[in-house]
Amino acid sequence: MRLGLAVLTALTLAGGTGASADELKRGELLFQGCRSCHALEPGRVAMAGPTLDGLAGRLFGAAAGFDYSPAFTAMREKGLRWDAERLKAYLRDPDSVVPGGWMSPPVGLGEADRAALAEFLLER
Amino acid sequence: MLRRSFLKVGLAGLAAPGLILRAQATEQPRPGSPFIVTYFDVPGIKGSRDVTDAGDGTLWVCGQRNGTLGRFDPRTSQIKVISLGEGAAPHGVVRGPDGAAWVTEGGQNAIARIDDKSHEVRLFPLPAGRERANLNTPVFDKKGILWFSGQNGIIGRLDPNSGKMEVFDAPRGAGPYGMTRTPSGEIWFASLAGNYIARVDTETAAFTVVDPPTEGQGARRVWSDSKNRIWVSEWNSGQVSSYDTESGSWKGWKLPGDKPRTYSVYVDDADKVWLTDFAANAILRFDPLTEGFHSFPSDRAGANVRQMDGRSGEAWGGESGTNRLVRIQTVKPA
Repeated sequence: MRLGLAVLTALTLAGGTGASADELKRGELLFQGCRSCHALEPGRVAMAGPTLDGLAGRLFGAAAGFDYSPAFTAMREKGLRWDAERLKAYLRDPDSVVPGGWMSPPVGLGEADRAALAEFLLER
Repeated sequence: MLRRSFLKVGLAGLAAPGLILRAQATEQPRPGSPFIVTYFDVPGIKGSRDVTDAGDGTLWVCGQRNGTLGRFDPRTSQIKVISLGEGAAPHGVVRGPDGAAWVTEGGQNAIARIDDKSHEVRLFPLPAGRERANLNTPVFDKKGILWFSGQNGIIGRLDPNSGKMEVFDAPRGAGPYGMTRTPSGEIWFASLAGNYIARVDTETAAFTVVDPPTEGQGARRVWSDSKNRIWVSEWNSGQVSSYDTESGSWKGWKLPGDKPRTYSVYVDDADKVWLTDFAANAILRFDPLTEGFHSFPSDRAGANVRQMDGRSGEAWGGESGTNRLVRIQTVKPA
């Protein structure tokens, strides 16, 4: 019961929309393009970017052990959390969500790609 | 896989005369310093990223966030803004033997040639099966072949004359980032995720991987000095290291400060090493002779200079986080 409530809360925070299996699969494939900087395994820090494990509802700049930019740290201190809309906007133009952050814009992603990638990252 | 791919973009859409805007310069006074730091606002350029000398006093600058290439003249503070097309997100730029700008145009997954006279844009798309290569850095070899890296695990080459393009799988998959050519003519690249540098055999396209001494260092960019030493910016370790391609020996230095993040490296014609440290929000000049660092913190937060290049007496960078260019001039003693 508690677990179910926790999952529901996380999905609500994340703005999850119950994506189809095909959509999630597409998001997973698109994530291969992120693997040069990000891992999905928890606690893996020796990469250019933080692990994206447990992203749904996570505070900005809160992956354990990762040394974030001052811009991300400021967002964490404001209490901002990842949800679908913020993640899609971030994938479109990171600087518009976290001005002065260190990540470059992901390239070659259309709106549907960003939606699939966001669903995969938030619902896995 | 060998594919020939060449696309000439319609001139009406992309080769239209670029928007000409006037920039604003701000000089940062440093009394008694041998350096002059000047910041230039570059209107029309969003996400000012990689830069290079255009050869006539002007500079090329990539506008990664709005799909543009700028041609900036610091003498007049004018900038011409060239649209690279729908969805464009240019990353790297180099001046070719033909005088044109050659751009790793990640947004359209293509190499773009921008004519230095007409500003006509031509695209050379990557072949099918190489989508979203996440194109990064271009460099020409001594025979005039363009080599390029893609972070999603590729190294490619393009013959500008024939349009023939070949794309190869890089060692250890994802990660290829910065690239450089040594005075002896070798091509080297760094792999950020692969944690190595590698030499490319320009005939066979075989790779020779060299592991830096620091494990998991995150080799991001490379630049050769005049003595064929490869200088490496190590993002994860916060170091700058150098690899002597002739002796096979390494040296390394930690950048000053708490938890430095070394993003870019550029070596000028006096073999001084210019670095950017994101944690310190600063450009650093490293002198290999004295092993000392000289810091140039930006006057604005989140400057994020992701690449530097230059010409004699001038080091240039794009402040991607502030949409500006920065120039550091080294004043010669009287």
